[in-house]
Amino acid sequence: MSEVLRRWLAGVCTVALAAVVVVAMIIGEDTAQDRVLALGTRIKCPVCQGESIAESPSETSTAMLSVVAEKVAAGESDGQIIEYFTDRYGSGILLDPPFRGRTLALWLTPLVALAGGVALILGLRRRRVTAPAAPDGESR
Amino acid sequence: MIATVGFLGVVVAAVSSAALAVRGFHASAAGERDTSRWLPYPVLGVVVGAVVAMISLEAGLLADDFSIAYVANNSATTTPFLYKAASAWAALEGSLVLWGLVLALFVLSVWVGRARRGEDRLGAAALGFLGLVSLFVFVILATVSNPFEVCTATYQGGIGCAQTAALPWSASVAGVEGFGPNPLLQNHPLMALHPPTLYVGYVGLTVPFAFAMAALLRAESGDGWLRRTRSWTRIAWIFLTLGIVLGGLWSYEVLGWGGYWAWDPVENASFMPWLLATAFLHSAAVQLRRGVLQSWNFVLVIATFALTILGTFLTRSGVIVSVHSFTQSAIGPALLWFLMIVLVGSLGLFAMRAHLVSSSPRIDSLFSREGAILVNNLLLALFAFVVILGTLYPLIVEAVSGDTVGVGRPFFDRVAVPLSFALILAMAVGPFVPYRAARPGVVWRRIRHPLRAGLVAAVAVVLLGRRNGWVLLAAFFAGFVVALALRQLWVTARAAAAKAGGNIVVEAGRALRRDPAYWGGQLSHIGVALLAMGIALSANSAVRGTVEMTPGGSASFAGHEVAYTAPFIRELPNKTVFGATFEVRRGSDLVAVLEPRLNQYASSRQTVASPAVDSGWRGDFYLALASWDEDGAIALDLYWFPWIWLVWAGAFTTAIGGFFAWLIRRRTAAPRPAPQEVFGV
Repeated sequence: MSEVLRRWLAGVCTVALAAVVVVAMIIGEDTAQDRVLALGTRIKCPVCQGESIAESPSETSTAMLSVVAEKVAAGESDGQIIEYFTDRYGSGILLDPPFRGRTLALWLTPLVALAGGVALILGLRRRRVTAPAAPDGESR
Repeated sequence: MIATVGFLGVVVAAVSSAALAVRGFHASAAGERDTSRWLPYPVLGVVVGAVVAMISLEAGLLADDFSIAYVANNSATTTPFLYKAASAWAALEGSLVLWGLVLALFVLSVWVGRARRGEDRLGAAALGFLGLVSLFVFVILATVSNPFEVCTATYQGGIGCAQTAALPWSASVAGVEGFGPNPLLQNHPLMALHPPTLYVGYVGLTVPFAFAMAALLRAESGDGWLRRTRSWTRIAWIFLTLGIVLGGLWSYEVLGWGGYWAWDPVENASFMPWLLATAFLHSAAVQLRRGVLQSWNFVLVIATFALTILGTFLTRSGVIVSVHSFTQSAIGPALLWFLMIVLVGSLGLFAMRAHLVSSSPRIDSLFSREGAILVNNLLLALFAFVVILGTLYPLIVEAVSGDTVGVGRPFFDRVAVPLSFALILAMAVGPFVPYRAARPGVVWRRIRHPLRAGLVAAVAVVLLGRRNGWVLLAAFFAGFVVALALRQLWVTARAAAAKAGGNIVVEAGRALRRDPAYWGGQLSHIGVALLAMGIALSANSAVRGTVEMTPGGSASFAGHEVAYTAPFIRELPNKTVFGATFEVRRGSDLVAVLEPRLNQYASSRQTVASPAVDSGWRGDFYLALASWDEDGAIALDLYWFPWIWLVWAGAFTTAIGGFFAWLIRRRTAAPRPAPQEVFGV
């Protein structure tokens, strides 16, 4: 088999494999996304320490989770359900801080830190002393 | 009597710690003129004092000596032996005794390691700093958090202890019964294993800090301190990793919702230093190999230790529940002061010495091994920063404005997922990029075939029925990382075999032993990739359901048939167990008989669940009782966690990688003038 043909076949195989993976990702998993549970993980159990109502076995959590279940069954949107709880318990009930108001800084600070870190690393490189690059071979 | 002996142990350890600090710094300054004759005595004093304190506490617990307040409030006559023993670290004061004991054993190890070296000024100064930290711990144990306080008044009926006296030889009353441990903490045998393992890792990070401070104090630049610090960090890191995994396993087996990680402040407290210790293990390799990042390595080691103190403060002072309970616990302010002293002292010393210990050579190119490790360090430090931020943010907002905001799992997950995949990418490719400046062609040659292996792994996972994007991405990386490591080993062994004319398998084994730090690292990387796949699966492909049943009923769930046979009650000395028996079938095969339970402990009104799990390679079938009625009507939570074993296998593999590096390095630890490190990490 010629070298060209071998390479061509290898390329086709790679593309075919990648295609299978991409198609599978697009189709996605068919597990029914449990909306009640997804909402439950965003709401804090008021009598626990940092647990969500989906995780805590306490009676309060169970009761709150069943309220969520009723509202989901009644066809309310995620936004409406979250609003129902923040109206009653205040925004502190959310474990999922919104991208505004008092928790805006929480989301922005990591981005600022990332930018700072990247700048620091780039600075390290620019102020380099020029040294000849070592020859690099397969064994290094 | 027991209390007096234990308290004297604490006092002896405290006094010896002070002596250790004095003698250590003196031996470091005096050098050859001081033959360190006096150093063994304080070391011995710290160890004996800590051991006596621990044994006294255990003796009090096992002998049901309710005249000791700690025993009366954290143990009971009906508590089984294992949990009596584990009660020693099930509450604040006792857990600090374990802290002191672990620290004392590290002091002993450092001293033994030092004794083999002849004159060792760096080690002497490190012992001095260890003495200062252990002085703090034992003074706390003798004052604000004294586990040997005696009981002066019990609650009604002679139960527990309501009032205490600080001095153990005061007149005391012993109740007839204790309260027993917190129900959650006497529900699973892992409680005996998880805290000590975690403590060895957590407290072990004091040793790298002591060596870094010693190097700064003595203005020692160079690799001497770094090699020793790295090897101590590695030991602490192995135990910290194991401790975190065991904690996850405990949570999975006990908490009843199948979770193993919840971004709880206590978990974050152990995860933050883990991230920075991991960063240090990598950046130390860059300094050893290329002589750069010296200052950064000092900062990393100091920050790692500071985070262990911050974590202890957050989880032990009660501050995390509410800012307002701040002054109620006396240990909170003490820890906060200690943290301030550590930060001001270490950063001050660093500022004075930085010009003496820092390096001048810079990075030639970012497309190099050191560039990849810089990216790794940036991401790990950012990760640690985000975890600190998320943990502290509610406190800061509440302190500033009085408002409460919640920062929980959704926030951490959203930030951790992109950071983790970026880290995995750097982790996969980084070790195969040459030092200094890499040519793209060389790197491409190394990763070309492993990339295909990653695709094959992802396709295999598709064929096994998984189609979630994150899972497939993680599977791709797992295949990629495994293939990269195997290919590198194969190429190295083949080249060596061709050169020496030897057997390729023998040469592969030789290559593994020649650079254990590198290959141990590769094993850890494989573990991380498997872990990522397990996490992606449990986050995206787990199935959950709830059913209400009466005896004789059945339900079908995730391809299984669950038949409810009968309810049961068992009266045990320390608890009443309410349970139900289920037969689980797949098709016509009986897969398992599961008995999920609810435990009602005498000391507490709330019941604690004991889920029942059938584990297999396909996944875990997990049953937890949500409620139980006397007529046998129950509510049952059912979970199906596909391939959850990947989480445990991956995490343990990560720890084993560190262990491999430590073990082989130890066995070949003859001093080598020029290290034969081919790869460096």
